[in-house]
Amino acid sequence: MPLAPSRSAGYNSPVPPVSQTIRVTVLFFGRLKELTGHAEDSVEFADAVTIEQLFALYAARHPELTKYRSSVVASRNQEFAPWDTPLRSGDEVAFLPPVSGG
Amino acid sequence: MATLPHDDICQLVREPIDMAALVRHVRAPEDGATVTFDGFVRNQSHNRPTLYLDYEAYESMALAKMREIGAQLHEKYRIHRLAMVHRLGRLEIGETSVFIAVSAPHRAAAFDACRFAIDTLKRTVPIWKKEYFEDGAVWADGELPPAPAATPRANPAS
Repeated sequence: MPLAPSRSAGYNSPVPPVSQTIRVTVLFFGRLKELTGHAEDSVEFADAVTIEQLFALYAARHPELTKYRSSVVASRNQEFAPWDTPLRSGDEVAFLPPVSGG
Repeated sequence: MATLPHDDICQLVREPIDMAALVRHVRAPEDGATVTFDGFVRNQSHNRPTLYLDYEAYESMALAKMREIGAQLHEKYRIHRLAMVHRLGRLEIGETSVFIAVSAPHRAAAFDACRFAIDTLKRTVPIWKKEYFEDGAVWADGELPPAPAATPRANPAS
């Protein structure tokens, strides 16, 4: 995406805060990896986004994901995270189906 | 690999697990008991003959969660040392997928800690297995890790 030329904000000029691009790494495991066709992806958002909204983006591309929503947990930076967690640039989000190690 | 507190071992490996070496690692003269758990590949699943299993993990998070289990064990039980190793990739019938050894001065703590370790691993560590049969493959039924439901909101001062 081409960046708009930055307006040089003069000292104390009332420029509205420029929203910062949020770049997130997204990981899929198990059947979610097979369903989406990739283990790792990278997406950018122009505005604030939550884990739920990130999942919805992929569910729009892969409608079958929707039926797994209730049996998926999410993590942010290797910690289990609630779906309403807001994301920051550089975050690593993973969508995890029920675990079956052992 | 970074040394863990108590000289514990938490590992993900792609080759056969050397169980004897792990038992030797946790045993020490001040201990009186070692309890081990050897989880291995069963030849059937829901009465369907299994050909083999394939394990995958979210490796960085799985290791972090395994180390958390180790820390919990030392908090909850009077144990000496833990070794917990999970194997990834293709495993044949009878091969060990997970091995846990816990040493302690007395047996009760070692039994309790070993049981807690495998139960918690199966519930919280991001590892998945795919079961291969004559006529296809399925991802094994798993457990949904207990994740926080929503971000806690700050309580208004009361």
